[in-house]
Amino acid sequence: MISRDKHPRWLLLVSMLAVLALFAAACGGADEGPATPAEQEAADDDTDADGDEEGTPDAAGDQTVRLGILGQCEGPFGGFHEDTVAGVSLALANFAGAEVSSTTTALDGWSNAEVNGTPIELVGIGCGDDTPDTILGEVRQLVEQEDANVVIGPLSGDEGIAVAEYANANPDVTFLSGIAGSQEPTLEVQAPNYFRFHGDGAIWNAGMGDILHNEEGWDTVAVIADDYSFGHTSAAGFIADFCGVGGDVTTRVFPPLGTTDYSSFVQQLPDPDEVDGYFWVVGGTGTQAALEAFVNAKGDLTGDQHAGNLFFNPDLAQALGTDIAGAYVGGFASFPGDVQTPEIEEYLASADETWETLASGISGGEPGPPSAAAGFGFMYGYYAGGVALVEGLEETGGDPSPEPLQAALADLTVELPYGDVSLDENRSGIVDVALSQLVERDGEIVQETVAIIPEVDQTFGGTFSTDTPPPSRDFPPCEERELPWVGQAIPVEDGVPQR
Amino acid sequence: MTLRRLLTTGNITFVAVLLLLLALPAFSTAFFMGFVMTQTLMLGLAAATIVFLSAYGGMVSLAQLLMFGIAGFAFGNAALEAGARGLSLGWPPWVAVAFALLFTTAVAFLLGALASRTTDIYFLMLTLVYGVIGYYVFAQVVPISGPGGVTRITPPPLLATGIRLYYAALVLSALAYVAFRLIGRTPFGLALQGVRDDPVRMASLGLNVPLHRTLAFTLAGFVAGLAGLLNVWWNGQIDPASISIGPTLVLLIIAVIGGISHFEGAWLGAFVYVAASNYLRELPLVDRIGITPDRFNTIIGAIVLIIMVLSPEGLMGTFENLRGRLRRFRPPPRGGSAAHQSSVDGSRPAGREPARTAENG
Repeated sequence: MISRDKHPRWLLLVSMLAVLALFAAACGGADEGPATPAEQEAADDDTDADGDEEGTPDAAGDQTVRLGILGQCEGPFGGFHEDTVAGVSLALANFAGAEVSSTTTALDGWSNAEVNGTPIELVGIGCGDDTPDTILGEVRQLVEQEDANVVIGPLSGDEGIAVAEYANANPDVTFLSGIAGSQEPTLEVQAPNYFRFHGDGAIWNAGMGDILHNEEGWDTVAVIADDYSFGHTSAAGFIADFCGVGGDVTTRVFPPLGTTDYSSFVQQLPDPDEVDGYFWVVGGTGTQAALEAFVNAKGDLTGDQHAGNLFFNPDLAQALGTDIAGAYVGGFASFPGDVQTPEIEEYLASADETWETLASGISGGEPGPPSAAAGFGFMYGYYAGGVALVEGLEETGGDPSPEPLQAALADLTVELPYGDVSLDENRSGIVDVALSQLVERDGEIVQETVAIIPEVDQTFGGTFSTDTPPPSRDFPPCEERELPWVGQAIPVEDGVPQR
Repeated sequence: MTLRRLLTTGNITFVAVLLLLLALPAFSTAFFMGFVMTQTLMLGLAAATIVFLSAYGGMVSLAQLLMFGIAGFAFGNAALEAGARGLSLGWPPWVAVAFALLFTTAVAFLLGALASRTTDIYFLMLTLVYGVIGYYVFAQVVPISGPGGVTRITPPPLLATGIRLYYAALVLSALAYVAFRLIGRTPFGLALQGVRDDPVRMASLGLNVPLHRTLAFTLAGFVAGLAGLLNVWWNGQIDPASISIGPTLVLLIIAVIGGISHFEGAWLGAFVYVAASNYLRELPLVDRIGITPDRFNTIIGAIVLIIMVLSPEGLMGTFENLRGRLRRFRPPPRGGSAAHQSSVDGSRPAGREPARTAENG
């Protein structure tokens, strides 16, 4: 009896339709492009599958910016996917006349963006998961399938290295880093078409060692950091700074990114009576889990013995208690909320004018105030990339062709709300860094800026260069060295930099 | 074997598909060929090793992606010049290829020997452990994995363009497919299927059961290594996350989607997986029903769940079912049953899952 068949006909039909639909989608809408990333040096000489010469649309005179955005919708930072697209959208809304398609989500894109008559179209949003393989697939789809000629992104460290390598192989596409904070994309890979209008993980910890050693009296410290390129870079910045001014890093522990049970790694740390302090570089979904593991194994967290990079935030107090007050926190692309200038206020207000709500990572994926997302570094990094694109196009008179646009970007100093950003010779941002402290106000833990370290560049006063290995578990070693910003920090009082 | 005996439905279909794939670059886009189809063939080749071990040996392995990764890391460390990530041995590309394949095969032999006395769920768990250990080895021993991955890997000059890489993947896939099918008719393959169905009986007949399992695992490791080489040439880099538990399961999912007892299913499953990951978001209005890129794993999970419940033989099993229905309308062939005919023309499942389940149960 047909009705009792093991494999019903509808299943067969659905299976075949699914395969056919995918095949149809695969064959439709695809445009010519480079065939594989492995096709590197030979890319210019190759012919495509049809035997025709490959050519970029810009070479054919196309005056449209086909913009792809590389976000991260899965993985440890998947909650910030909305933020990434919102950052670019806000830059285009503020400076290129874009009208966002929705007032409650940025993922629907925009319309009517143009600079000097050159339209800026969103061709796709890449969905990374913090792994190089995935982001490579996403960027290939944006560039080779959707014909993007400008890409803004990615978000995270290892992704940044992979995308920079891809940029090296695809010189006709212009890449603006989202907020990927590993050192290698610019200092090691050095793709001439990869621009980073923000700092890196090391830069964002500049000045932290100076404060902890010279003001708080820490002589020894244990470092626990995520075991991937951003974790290495962020830890490297702190180690270079702390050791540079005379401190000693006694222990370095590197749990894999995405670890959920940190107990075995915390056990590798010295006890609280064996070091003066701990520096935490554990991010994403791991920050709170790692700190809770410390509480279980070593005792209470106290602000006078703990500090961390940008992931150390006031929300941790909800789970860990107010004893965390006093802890110092490294910088990020933007500044903590207590610093207010007319430029910052205008920027944050523009976010609230553009959207009613955004389901950003800073609001836990729930609809929240857009300005809260805009004030955090993930959205701001992408915003910086968007502003740089607009200013670059203004410099070229709207010409998005790779050569003039990339030349214009390399020479830009972008005026941004949290400080102007220029690029070094490797096209990495020279930025101001805001260091802060968690303090207790009316029973609540808030973040207060304590100092701004001006114009920090990626070389860290010569500590890092193209001749040194990339930051790793062992590099840099703990050595005293001259650091250009020691004694140059600008104190901040009540949110006002005392320049 | 006469020409008439070679002209079976299965063989004709195979040749027709091969010709279609050979001609496909002439009427497809570079992205479709260089990205979708090359990835499909590469993943299909790796997934075919899961099918081989499962169908002939009754061993469902979760270590095939590890072999895939070992070959990639081995090539990257051996071929890259000084200054790159990894060991940067700077060997000539084809020497590096030979080294990568030899090393991967040797590792597969050792791991296969260790696992050769386990069966069923214990074999599955042991190979899962291999995969996890392999991931942590590459993640922790940073001199061989970067740190943060081995990047800037380029193929040998002979395969330096995307279209050549596609054809290399196609040729290797076709060779592996034919070889796997032919092995099933060799004494080794028949003995392996006997081991699958009743290892105790085969041992009592004097067959060295662990050795056969070890050799099967070694051969599968070698072929997975070939796929791993294609992968690093295609992707340009490999890092420990490339062989973590997620991608390990993806390879098994590909085999399950296509049909874990059909060699053809490995490539069909790979195509469905790759096409879904790239084009599902392109379908009209899918985002309005919640099918967004961040839900891709949920969708693939749902597809696998439906297949497991309704068609355990995967998409190939569904096609086989359709063929069976069509045959009902034809007179049976002279001198044999339809079942006999299908076993000769190569269209039957590579393994006999129901029998194996019943006898090993």
